[in-house]
Amino acid sequence: MKASYNELQGLCRKAFIGMGFEEGDAADAADMVAWMQCFELGGLAALSRGLDFLLEDDPDELPSVLYQDGDLAVVDGHGQSVLRSSTLALELGFAKARARGLAVIKIRHCHNRQLIMGYLARLAGRGMNVTAFWRNAQQPPTEQVVGFRANGSVPEIRVYAVHEVPEENEPNDAVTLVMANHVDLLPAMRSDYRYDLLARHDESDLLACRHRSLAEGIEVDEAVWERLKHLATRMLVEASEASREGAGAGTQDND
Amino acid sequence: MAEYRDATAPGMPLRAADEAMDLERLGSLPASRLSFVRSLVRQMARQRWQVSRARFALDAQGHGIAIYRLQTPHGRYHGVIFSHHLDDAQRSDRVIAQAWDVTFGVIEGDVDDVLLEQMAANVPLQEAGRQHPRLLVLSRANRSLRNFTHFVTALGAGDQPDPAQLTRAGYLYRTTAVYGNGKFGIADFVRLQDNPDFQRPFSAQMLAVYLLRHFSIEQVEHIARAQAPDTAVPLATELRRYLGIGNSTGLGMAPFLINHPQLIQQWVTCRETALAMALGQTPDEARRQRLIALTRRAMRHLAQTVTEDAEQGERNAAVVMALPEVIAWLEEMPLEDDLWQQLVAWSARTLPLEAQELINTLLIELYPERVDSLVDQMGIEERLELTPDMPLVRLKQLIETHYDWALAEDFALPEARHWFWYRSTEKEEPRLGVRGVEPGAEKELPLAIAPRVHHTHGVLSDFLEANPRALVVEFLIAHPRHKDIVRRIQTLADTPYGEIRANLWHRDMKPMHLLRTKLSFFGAGRFDPKSDRWVRITLFQGAPLVEELNAEPRDLAAIDDWSFPLEPEGVMHSQRQGAGETS
Repeated sequence: MKASYNELQGLCRKAFIGMGFEEGDAADAADMVAWMQCFELGGLAALSRGLDFLLEDDPDELPSVLYQDGDLAVVDGHGQSVLRSSTLALELGFAKARARGLAVIKIRHCHNRQLIMGYLARLAGRGMNVTAFWRNAQQPPTEQVVGFRANGSVPEIRVYAVHEVPEENEPNDAVTLVMANHVDLLPAMRSDYRYDLLARHDESDLLACRHRSLAEGIEVDEAVWERLKHLATRMLVEASEASREGAGAGTQDND
Repeated sequence: MAEYRDATAPGMPLRAADEAMDLERLGSLPASRLSFVRSLVRQMARQRWQVSRARFALDAQGHGIAIYRLQTPHGRYHGVIFSHHLDDAQRSDRVIAQAWDVTFGVIEGDVDDVLLEQMAANVPLQEAGRQHPRLLVLSRANRSLRNFTHFVTALGAGDQPDPAQLTRAGYLYRTTAVYGNGKFGIADFVRLQDNPDFQRPFSAQMLAVYLLRHFSIEQVEHIARAQAPDTAVPLATELRRYLGIGNSTGLGMAPFLINHPQLIQQWVTCRETALAMALGQTPDEARRQRLIALTRRAMRHLAQTVTEDAEQGERNAAVVMALPEVIAWLEEMPLEDDLWQQLVAWSARTLPLEAQELINTLLIELYPERVDSLVDQMGIEERLELTPDMPLVRLKQLIETHYDWALAEDFALPEARHWFWYRSTEKEEPRLGVRGVEPGAEKELPLAIAPRVHHTHGVLSDFLEANPRALVVEFLIAHPRHKDIVRRIQTLADTPYGEIRANLWHRDMKPMHLLRTKLSFFGAGRFDPKSDRWVRITLFQGAPLVEELNAEPRDLAAIDDWSFPLEPEGVMHSQRQGAGETS
């Protein structure tokens, strides 16, 4: 089925509130999902994959800063979705980059990392060059790089498989972000090591997707839609005769 | 707070926010020439928009489909109206209704059979349907049974309806919701950003209402003709003009005002800028006489306004009582350069709020050449953003400077935390409950900004004592629940008119003021409250007719002069003699 951008964003926001998100987090998370879906990057599918985990996340387990100095910060996402754990870490990076020209932020132990792109778009809209990098755990490992130019609304995205990876024991559940006030950080593929480019999204392709979404509506999976609608009802108050009076309407509208 | 001056606006300084954003004052605003219905009609006239009937397939009861084509210099649109039989028992103005007398929408582009079939299957269902992405507006309306019956009977008998009927309720139909911006699958507003026809907020919605008005005239004439083909006459032009479209609305308007502070900022800034421009002008005798004439018309209009609501009735009467003094003042005072400023200062000292804002509205009316272009600034791309690197002490100062009105409230008092706002499971209808008495407070909507700011100020003050050099982002990492309100405060700090200055929890808060604030910018007249949170109003009463706009009028000032419409006099007599001349 098709939905509008505003409708998708609105439903996601209500569903996140229904899941126990704070108002600001719910609005941000909804923006992140809707942004991806509008660019045909599978925001709803990514949300759907992580939804059961999200429902089990402890909302009181807040992301914590493990280390920081003027240029760097390492944040523990406590295994939560980036929808819950990333926005303030990103804002911390933004503040550092504004102060120092460049900042690196690492968010460890987080999932649903694809969805972080929507918030990066907002930072870029505020004049920051941003690149995010993360690695997925399949074999061979895949890496994804997303780069936004300052004041750009659309990223360059590259996904590729890497074959020559030295053995190491770190789990692939982190995302690394680099922000720079003045320097472009867009991904350009150049390497002496073997890699297979799996996906490439350029600005012009993504703009065409957005145009199509606004003109024709955004394709959404009905099962996911229904699930979100159900979650959204958690924020509603059961009706009663007394509550009907709380709307203030009369009982007779004929005139 | 400091006065705010718009660098682009020559004239007097704009009014301070604590005056302009006071809820009771906002709840006293009348429609003005900047209102959306007025600016739409001006655009239609100026750009010579043409409305034509593309289909009119109604049975003798007026049920069926009507399609109107709108051609602008930039594009083509179609108003598609489905008229249905509705049992009287089902006629409800509330959002929880499931059937209506008419359902309709405005389509961008052409309507082919496939699209019409899709619309016929979904538009009548309204919220329960899946609407087409080329649909710009989705709406529905119910008949005023008394007016409808009277009009059909009178026209069928070769007579004209009694104008007093329209003075009591100025419409044949009243809308109960007019949806835009992506609701239920229709087009997002962002899609209209580059469309010069409907870039302004709510202009597409107002067009839909205007087309319904035209349909209501054609439909009632059609039914009268079908029932009495030998005797029926068309509706007299004066009565067509005097016919508007009603709207019935409740608390649903309140969340919009709070959730779109940047848009409200634009609307109020445009109005305040227009007022400042008018006040900065040197009056001449012609404009003084024009202001006197407008005041007389507004006085008669308000005297003719019927409401069963005692409080609104008293407010109307107080304005009607006050306006002769205004006229006398204007006639007696010497024509000095600062006469308008003297008038406003005198009215602030002596007149009720509604009369003060009426005078402001009429002053704006005097200078179309200066103020009309402001309507192009009514829209804005909305986004509340954090400034994470702001020193926390600076945020504290911003709160204390711009939200002093919120900090002044004592939320320990029971009356200061009386109401809570929530959405019901019944179509998500917004409702008010009494805290501690009614269930649902744990699901409260965060619409009351004052207590949230007050709470955040307390928490950040404590944090600041322990961390005097902290940045905002450091505070938020420690207290993430404050992100939403901090973002709002930071974004709105430089925009004086974004926040309505009232505690929306307070027992004495009047939701009606919120409703009227928004409706006045739409261009509503005839405020007729049905309770303290439910109101009927009329749009487009007195507006130029489709046939007048289609005739491409040359005198644009005359076609635009339709505020505060008056009951036509002598219609029945003249039309009995000359029925049939109007179409």
